[in-house]
Amino acid sequence: MRAETRRRWAIAGLTGPAYLWLTLTIFLPLSAMLWFSFQKKGPFGRHEAEFTLKHYEAFFTKAYMQDLTWRSLEMGLQVTVICLVLGFPAAYVLAKRIRGRWREALFLLVVLPFWSNALVRIFSWTVVLRPGGVLDGAVQFVFPGAPAIDLADSWNAVIIGLVHSYLPYMILTCYLSLQALDDSLIEAARSLGASAATILWRIVLPLAIPGIAAGAVLIFVPVIGSFFEPKLLGGTQGVVIGTVIEEQFTVVSNWPLGGALSFILLAIVLLILAVSYPFLKDRMRTA
Amino acid sequence: MSVVEARHVTKRYGEVRALDDVSLVFPEGNFFALLGPSGSGKTTLLRAVAGFVEPEAGEILLDGQDIAHTPVHRRNIGMVFQNYALFPHMSVFDNIAFGLSVRGVSRAEARERVHRMLDLVRLPGMEERKPRQLSGGQQQRVALARAMVTEPKVLLLDEPLGALDKRLRQEMQIELKQIQRAVGITAIFVTHDQEEALTLSDHIAIINDGRLVQVGAPHDIYENPGSVFAAGFLGDANILRGRVENGAVAVDGVGPVTPRSALPGQGSPAVVAVRPEKVRILAEPSGQACNRVAGRVIQGVFSGTSVTYIVETAAGVQRAFRQNAGERIHGAGEGVVLEWSPEHTVVVEE
Amino acid sequence: MAQPWEGEGMSRHLLPRIADGMGRIFLALILVFLYVPIAVLALMGFNESVHYALPFEFSTKWYEALAGNERLLTASFNSVWIALANTVVATTIGTMAAFALGRFRFRGRTVMQLLLFPPITIPWLIIGTAMLVFFFWTGIGRGLHSLLLGHIALSLPYVIIVVGARMASFGPELEEAAASLGATPLQAFWRISLPVLMPGIIAAALFAFAVSFDQFVISYFLAAPGTSVLPVEIFSAIRKGFTPEVNAISTLVIFVSMGIMLAFARLSKFGGER
Ligand SMILES: Nc1ncnc2c1ncn2[C@@H]1O[C@H](COP(=O)(O)OP(=O)(O)OP(=O)(O)O)[C@@H](O)[C@H]1O
Ligand SMILES: [Mg+2]
Repeated sequence: MRAETRRRWAIAGLTGPAYLWLTLTIFLPLSAMLWFSFQKKGPFGRHEAEFTLKHYEAFFTKAYMQDLTWRSLEMGLQVTVICLVLGFPAAYVLAKRIRGRWREALFLLVVLPFWSNALVRIFSWTVVLRPGGVLDGAVQFVFPGAPAIDLADSWNAVIIGLVHSYLPYMILTCYLSLQALDDSLIEAARSLGASAATILWRIVLPLAIPGIAAGAVLIFVPVIGSFFEPKLLGGTQGVVIGTVIEEQFTVVSNWPLGGALSFILLAIVLLILAVSYPFLKDRMRTA
Repeated sequence: MSVVEARHVTKRYGEVRALDDVSLVFPEGNFFALLGPSGSGKTTLLRAVAGFVEPEAGEILLDGQDIAHTPVHRRNIGMVFQNYALFPHMSVFDNIAFGLSVRGVSRAEARERVHRMLDLVRLPGMEERKPRQLSGGQQQRVALARAMVTEPKVLLLDEPLGALDKRLRQEMQIELKQIQRAVGITAIFVTHDQEEALTLSDHIAIINDGRLVQVGAPHDIYENPGSVFAAGFLGDANILRGRVENGAVAVDGVGPVTPRSALPGQGSPAVVAVRPEKVRILAEPSGQACNRVAGRVIQGVFSGTSVTYIVETAAGVQRAFRQNAGERIHGAGEGVVLEWSPEHTVVVEE
Repeated sequence: MAQPWEGEGMSRHLLPRIADGMGRIFLALILVFLYVPIAVLALMGFNESVHYALPFEFSTKWYEALAGNERLLTASFNSVWIALANTVVATTIGTMAAFALGRFRFRGRTVMQLLLFPPITIPWLIIGTAMLVFFFWTGIGRGLHSLLLGHIALSLPYVIIVVGARMASFGPELEEAAASLGATPLQAFWRISLPVLMPGIIAAALFAFAVSFDQFVISYFLAAPGTSVLPVEIFSAIRKGFTPEVNAISTLVIFVSMGIMLAFARLSKFGGER
């Protein structure tokens, strides 16, 4: 089978570089971190490998770690819900109420900021939200004598910044699934005498579930792993499990603990996805 | 002009035998049709000749040389694909000139040959168009020109007209045949349209389940089908089953049916086939010496120029085809007699 | 059941119109929310005051200061060349892989496609720290070289997916046609597959450039002190206290990345032409 041999070599030669690269720089590092999370010490200096569960135990024995993880989950949930509440109607207006070139242009406008530097966008919020900043200034200008607005270093600032960063995801995914929804379906429902609310609740929303679900996952997962957004916008109010993990590597140099916390976070993410998967799959099938 | 030959070619895909010990000669200058139902292995055979499929066993000979393991690009073939596979980023000229340019033919000579080809396929002046600016029929012609400009030894066509609508398809059939004749190239084409196979080809090979069923000239296969499958696949056929008795086939409830050719020994089972257009439908037996079966009309399907009768007989449902010469049409439920001569009664294999 | 507005005369079309109008206003507000911080950033780069104090007073002095800020300029230079190197390498080997995954059916193909998703979905924080651990442990260490290694790894799945989508839009017939016309596999690739894939490849390259140029998280963990890239420099500047020079460079960064993504959107027909 000469041709078969040639084919095998071609496949190996073409996929080899990319997958070797991914292995060396993503899969092996993740494995290495997993291994070190069960080691007493990180990869500094010379010492014997020593197996321990203490970094995982730390999470379960120290209440503040659980609190901070809980806070991260709360942050993820809040951001996801706000993105849904703002993003779904926006996507609906865009997909069903605006036509032609305008729609294309507005759609691009919506997703464009999303492709700009995330750090810089967070930075711009610090400028807007600080006392004497743009928001404060604007409010004082419109309502002279209103109480000063100081959102700097607050939980709300973190949420605002994250919503700003991730909102385009939700608009994008909802837009794509609403786009696929046939207008004649809505017209058929209307001809059967369904009210606007009924149409929204019984037809549009169920059919948009795949888009909403995709958006929710795409937002929730990175948000609970975020660290620089809470750090820059939340200050002391912005301590979450992400910032704790980051500091294990940059400040405290307790890499095994950082690794253990990372994998616990990853496990929680997978657990949430696994629990919601049957529900979502069900809804998607009916949709 | 070249001869292509397949010898004992076998190709399996897992459990599926796409080709099972197929041996076939494609004669020089011939327009050869591979005909068979879907999944029978036609495309696989064509692609084995082209070199896209490497057979597990057997040889593919091109002018006497085994090319079964020669890569496609060294075989010097021309191929026309079902959806044409024109290069979308190239003009018509560059598409046709591609084969010349990879062979290192000079630009001037290429220009000359491409123009000749465009004249041949009746598309002069289309050089600068992109494929998407052409109609289906025009794309088809470009594909043909591209495949033939390199003067390949054999032209392979996989359902070349499958993507065209009926009218255009019939026009292109005639044109394709003319071009092939003019150039004199050996051509092999795949189709599952029996009419197309009959009108276009010099030879037909019927394939079923990866096996060769019958090969021959269209007329020959039509008049002398070798098997029940061949009889039924190429044209329509009435099939009668019985046992050999005194030089005739005794069909249950019908009586003896005399065939044209020799029969197996006394008592062994035998099958005969009769084309519906060879069957006369009568109100009363004619009294002539011929094969005969009585029945009742289920339906007369009228199609303007002809009527096809579907008749219930003791030997099952049979068909009779009659040109519309103005006779009365037999109504449903009417008792009729079907008659045909032994000369049109072909013994076939099960 | 009659709609409340399906009554008489004028009011019949009024309610849906009001709903429509409100919808548009809502969309406009969302856009304001999305663009206000970016606009503020751009404006503040031209404001006289160090403390972003209002009222606004036009000045280009921060852009002038930027021209003399050695640190930020070096970091910008590093960012650009790493993004370029990343684009070349990731696009090349990613396109090769996408071609094989799209053209051949083989055992392990599905697994290979699934393997593209963990790098995209696992939070960058975790991937970045894992790279830090592994690179330190193996002696690869930190610095621009390991940063490049990491950026390429992050860009690869996107390149493979974007080029793969283009790959799926045409079958193997084009290459087969080329082969039947006498082209060697290499000739068929260069003269047929590559040109047909080109829009996808360019889109993938733009994406890869943006992934690297805007990458902060991975760079943050892998940059060695002293040799930094722009996002990392911006981060430390923000932490130390604001200087409007950072505004100036941030504005530039944001417009560069938005420009690239606009080109990407055009090329990949992102959002469609419905
Ligand atoms: N690449 C392949 N992998 C697995 N099985 C295949 C492959 N190609 C063909 N087969 C199988 O081999 C058999 C013959 O296929 P082939 O394409 O030759 O049929 P065909 O006669 O051309 O049919 P059609 O008229 O539908 O085109 C079929 O059962 C098909 O499923
Ligand atoms: Mg076929």
